[in-house]
Amino acid sequence: MSKVVEISPTTRHEGHSKLVLKVNDAGIIETGNWCSITPVRGVEKLAVGKTPEQVPKIASRVCGICPIAHNLAATEAMEASIKCEIPKDALMLRHILQLANRLHSIALHDILILPDLYLPGTEVKINPFTAEEPVRTVAKRIQRLREIGQTVGQIAGGDCIHPRNTRVGGMYRNCSEQAKTKMYDLAKEGLVLAHAQMDLMIAILRNYQARESVDVGGMKVALPKTLGYHNQGYLATHAFYGSSSLDECPSWDIDRFKEVRPWDWYMGEMDVTLEEPRYPIGGTTKMGTKVNPQMEACTGIPMYDGQPVEVGPRARLATYKGYDEKGTVGQNVAREMEYTDSLYEMIDCIDALNPNGKVVADYIPDGDGSLGWASNEAPRGTDVHITRVKDWKVQYFSMLVPTTWNFATCSAALTGAPWQLAEVIMRGYDPCVSCATHMIVLDEDNKVVAQKLIQ
Amino acid sequence: MLYPEIVIAGCGNPLFADDGFGPAVIEEMEKLTLPDNVLIVDAGLGGPHFIFTLLDPEVTKKLVIVDIADYGAEPGSITKLRVEDLPPGAYRDAHSWDLAEPLQRIKDRIDVTIIGCQPARVTAPEFELGLSDEVQEAIPKTIRVILETIGVDYGTTINLQKEGRQRGTAETCSSGKNS
Repeated sequence: MSKVVEISPTTRHEGHSKLVLKVNDAGIIETGNWCSITPVRGVEKLAVGKTPEQVPKIASRVCGICPIAHNLAATEAMEASIKCEIPKDALMLRHILQLANRLHSIALHDILILPDLYLPGTEVKINPFTAEEPVRTVAKRIQRLREIGQTVGQIAGGDCIHPRNTRVGGMYRNCSEQAKTKMYDLAKEGLVLAHAQMDLMIAILRNYQARESVDVGGMKVALPKTLGYHNQGYLATHAFYGSSSLDECPSWDIDRFKEVRPWDWYMGEMDVTLEEPRYPIGGTTKMGTKVNPQMEACTGIPMYDGQPVEVGPRARLATYKGYDEKGTVGQNVAREMEYTDSLYEMIDCIDALNPNGKVVADYIPDGDGSLGWASNEAPRGTDVHITRVKDWKVQYFSMLVPTTWNFATCSAALTGAPWQLAEVIMRGYDPCVSCATHMIVLDEDNKVVAQKLIQ
Repeated sequence: MLYPEIVIAGCGNPLFADDGFGPAVIEEMEKLTLPDNVLIVDAGLGGPHFIFTLLDPEVTKKLVIVDIADYGAEPGSITKLRVEDLPPGAYRDAHSWDLAEPLQRIKDRIDVTIIGCQPARVTAPEFELGLSDEVQEAIPKTIRVILETIGVDYGTTINLQKEGRQRGTAETCSSGKNS
């Protein structure tokens, strides 16, 4: 007899989401629904009628943690629509900004997953805030990596949170020789730290993977070897940066994309029939509570080639580097491997940057209403912005943010895992939920059928 | 170090009307010339994880947070708050890794002041651009309070070389192709 358990809200990620899990008598998930419960915000509507300069600034405000990805994707979508190619040095500055953002994000994610993991050789779970060694040294290293990422981002992007140096047509200004040298020094310092941090995190993850069982809130939970496995396929548009409809060979195809209603994918109304007060941070939802993922989910389900797909570090490594490890641990290992990749690439981009080169296109068209899109490989995965610009006014704008892609994929990956580990699987996606909540739904003929969801 | 001795962070989201007060104050302060040990930063929604958890108490001695605060006053009124005055969850890290609040972690080692403005209109979760008149008019007064808090004389901060700075493109979502 199946039981229903709900974990709400989920923790250690950005935004609000929940897990509704139908489990068997042994506590193994038969059907898992992971859904956003952040209300729809309607940035797409706000963008219409604004200038192409305003919309990237608006887009960068929909999320507290991904402003750089949204800023870059929106700016490049505008450029794709108006058909404006930017100078090489502007692109290098954007690449550096992108990689700095990724470096910070990986380091932050380390802090988020460490409490799930064990100090190798012990039965002690890791508290990243403890003052005790050896964790203290690791925490300091993580902080330094975050600082390096933010400082490089500040130099290349003009500000470390909301980059002000990006503009439609390129960048407002290039950096100085001194600034280039400083970025180079920081990247080299970061590379040494990133190697050490990556090696340590992979060792910790392998130690977790080798365990027969793990502890969750005092419960001993058997750890399946297939934790987080799914067969949904991957989507990535570049090893580290992105693509756009201006590219000679774009790596994303708007015709292969479709978004459907969440109520076709999620479970309907049910009562919670399993309650576990020992589950970390306040226990699970009380018995008898009514849950209705179909109606509570605040996102559409984007599909590529008719299926939900995984986006993010593993998708990038699988698509561009032949990586083939499945499951939650494989996903986290892939993210760790991007540490050094991002710094090697950053060093190459800094090398290629000419501080005396121009960074603004000679001619910035006003746009003729053509559809343009740009994808940005944000730390969490492919972030696609789609727009039409005519006479320097935005006529249409849409954001397909990474975690939206991952909701249905992660839900599939929950099947077969003990319900107590559902959050561990979810955190493997490094979810960022607050902006993953737009709602444009297409029917079979790709016509918009719903732009608004649950109140 | 990323953050210097004094950090002034404007928090809030310009997409929710008066919630954009903090970033708007920062944009206005960009026009001033401030000492080298002062950093002003438009934190947006990222204050807890991009700033408060990255401050080094060995370097940063003072943090001023500019934000809206609903304390039942007339819209546009300004108040100074300490960390102890904040309700639980006011600056909880968005990642809520252990539901601890980063300001609680640093308040004993860094002098934290919150300058709050009573909003007239916060539209979340609906988007709306632009501050109400009352809150807009509170910006100069807020800047005076900030400068007083960090011990900078207003008379020395007037920027006479405004054209040399690449500003005005900032984050209140202003328009203009060539701004």
